[in-house]
Amino acid sequence: MDDLIREFLIESHAGLDQMERCLTELEDRPADAELLANIFRSVHTIKGTTGFLGYARLESLSHAGENLLGLLRDGKLVANGEIISVLLDLQDGLRAILRSIETDDNEGQGSDEEIVERLVALAQIGAAPHTSSKSARILSEVEAISNRAPQPGAEAHSQGPPQPNVTDSTLRVDIGLLNRMMNLVGELVLTRNQILQANSTNAEFTPLARRLDMVTADLREAVMKARMQPVSHVFSKFPRLVRDLAQQLDKRVHLRMEGQETELDKSLLEAIKDPLTHSVRNAIDHGIEAPDLREASGKDAEGQLTLSSRQQGSHVIVEVTDDGGGIRVERIRDKAIERRLITPQKAAQLSDRELLQLIFLPGFSTAEKVTNVSGRGVGMDVVRTNVERIGGKVEIDSRPGAGTTLRLSIPLTLAIVPALIVRSRGQDFALPQTALVELVYLTPEEGKTQIEWLENAPLYRLRGRLLPLIFLSELLGLNRLFEQPQDGGHYIAVLNADGRRYGLVVDGLADPEEIVVKPLSAALKRIGLFSGATVMGNGEMALILDPGAIAGRVGIGLSPDDLVQPAAGESTALSESEFLLVKTGEDQQALPLNNVVRIERIPRTRIEWLEKMPVLRFGGTVLPLEDRSRLLDRAEPSDAEITIVVCRDGERHVGVTVSHVLDVASGAPLVDAGTRSLVPDVTLLKERVTGIVNLSRIPELPVPVEVGG
Amino acid sequence: MTVTEDGIEMCSVRVGDTTFGVRITRILEILDKPATRPVPLAPPHIGGLVHYRGEILTAVSLRSVLGLPAHSHPPDMLVFEGRDGYFGLLVDAVGEVLTVSPSELEPSPSTLDDRKRALFADTCKLSNSLLVMLDPARFDPVLLSQAQLSQ
Repeated sequence: MDDLIREFLIESHAGLDQMERCLTELEDRPADAELLANIFRSVHTIKGTTGFLGYARLESLSHAGENLLGLLRDGKLVANGEIISVLLDLQDGLRAILRSIETDDNEGQGSDEEIVERLVALAQIGAAPHTSSKSARILSEVEAISNRAPQPGAEAHSQGPPQPNVTDSTLRVDIGLLNRMMNLVGELVLTRNQILQANSTNAEFTPLARRLDMVTADLREAVMKARMQPVSHVFSKFPRLVRDLAQQLDKRVHLRMEGQETELDKSLLEAIKDPLTHSVRNAIDHGIEAPDLREASGKDAEGQLTLSSRQQGSHVIVEVTDDGGGIRVERIRDKAIERRLITPQKAAQLSDRELLQLIFLPGFSTAEKVTNVSGRGVGMDVVRTNVERIGGKVEIDSRPGAGTTLRLSIPLTLAIVPALIVRSRGQDFALPQTALVELVYLTPEEGKTQIEWLENAPLYRLRGRLLPLIFLSELLGLNRLFEQPQDGGHYIAVLNADGRRYGLVVDGLADPEEIVVKPLSAALKRIGLFSGATVMGNGEMALILDPGAIAGRVGIGLSPDDLVQPAAGESTALSESEFLLVKTGEDQQALPLNNVVRIERIPRTRIEWLEKMPVLRFGGTVLPLEDRSRLLDRAEPSDAEITIVVCRDGERHVGVTVSHVLDVASGAPLVDAGTRSLVPDVTLLKERVTGIVNLSRIPELPVPVEVGG
Repeated sequence: MTVTEDGIEMCSVRVGDTTFGVRITRILEILDKPATRPVPLAPPHIGGLVHYRGEILTAVSLRSVLGLPAHSHPPDMLVFEGRDGYFGLLVDAVGEVLTVSPSELEPSPSTLDDRKRALFADTCKLSNSLLVMLDPARFDPVLLSQAQLSQ
């Protein structure tokens, strides 16, 4: 395509975006001169350029629009619902032609007659001489209508008129170029790592390497930032959508948007557009009640819909909140039982909050009637799938009668994913941690006895439930290519991929890493088991496993009982009371399962001491160890091993020395017999009073430690 | 740029006992024995993944495309631009750059078997031997995979 035309398309789309924003605002401020001038300018620019490029359809359509807008701008006509509707249609018409030019290189075959007629008819009202009593009457009617009936509309900005675009200090950059820059920065980071490890006798080398280190880190951050866009790019579509939907459904909705300046990676912004649209549709269709119903229950006839976003740590939280009827938990439960998504027994055990999360299960839709807005059986599960695909999470909160909040938690950038590096037959693979539930280690002997076979299917009893196993080496045919490892121990990575639970059996584990995802070529995507590849910190490459695709390949199904697991597993209410039961010396102690990162079995000689505090070093990182039962002081042969449970405590990681890991169990709270108050740091675990290790009491590292990066 | 007054510049590469020529203009970069990462379940002509300037390229093994047995000697790689981004071609060794005149190029003889005729572009008559010209586009992994599926 011609550069000139490309530029024209980009500018026209931007102009129409602004026009759309202004039009929805015009509804509340029909006489705002600045808004009208902005809208006029958008259409005028298109008209001017199309004549030059020779697009006749665009020219005639924008010409008709410009006439009407000119009258509005000059105050000869006052905007009302009808005028705004036709202008919105004009905008749609212009967009459709632009799209046609973009894809087919011509203006397409459609007819604009109907909309041109409407534009002309409305313009005639304003163009008629002012002395005409008839037109004056019509004009006053028009004004009256616009005063009397504020349309169920929406406002795009909560305060002030829109600011003109700041075009002077910004520049359009091709997204491909940014991706390439990101790759090159990644490359630079790896080269830097190698330089930092290199030795040189030159005295200047070390400070230079440090400088390179700093510059690289800053550059990486700057490039990441260049890919960020404010969420207003997505939010700005909603005023129009809300207006149209509300009219279609005869509801009155006021849209409020907060935190539009929050920034998110461009590709993620694209990815949340659909889930968010779906959620907003749902909120208006199922959430907010009809005006009479609302009044009957003592609410304002106009429903409130709030879209908000804010950054929280390394995530952006986007919330869609309505003050509608809320979700009745009993209805969710009955529907889930009716659809056999859950057994009645299981349902009885779930809390209200957990029951609510059932609406994210595939095939769940409670819409009592199918409307053309939403409720086609593909519902919230699509929202969840889309959000989880980009490493995000969805939660729902609802109070009957008071409203519903849907919360999307999106990582700041797509490019970096936490992953566990697993090893099979000497080959490294990256396993995204979002799917990882827990890890089980089996010694060679345990491997022989505890992996059971049903026909040809290997199974493992995980706390009494059968877990289907997949041997990674067999799945990938690695046995033919590479040698069997010597010791023969196995790790089972217990995975939950979209509700499908299975254990992936690997030979070994390496440290978890934040990996940068690189796409695979089409030739390799076809294999279907890898979602990408990455370059690890040591410079080696690893393929990224796709847990969902692996489950699909082997035919791991969704059993009704299993389906409940994901919902329950994600809810904080349940997992907060789950503990890792460990033996330390003679005692049993409990570690909150949510905080457990991994369990390491290491030779005692790897423990190092820093001012009398035991510490453990992994690569360039160090973590403090808690040795409450003085296991480290015991005289043991020097080649003995010790188990360390690595836990997360806020931002830091800490290690706890234990003799063995016993089990995972749910704990019940205990209250003091006298005061009836909750006893902290104690839980009832397997009918036994057990102390909880308080991670926050583990002391900080004694001195600031240089951590290599 | 490379079509100098007296001819075409080409890079000679060796696989097994055969020497091939690739026009220099088509080569983005030559990597000296890069680390390759095998891809399980990949079609046989895929030699593995190679890390190149922050991207991970799919490398085609010229040895396997020609039906030669794999060997343990680490290969060199040529980087080309394909339909689906960059890709690599693994060869046993990269040799010197030759300059030939266009008149020395002839289409590959029709007596070659079909598979090889599909792969070899032209034949170049050197004074003491023949050099097979390779057209990088024919080694694009996307294309090779499609060809493999249709067989």
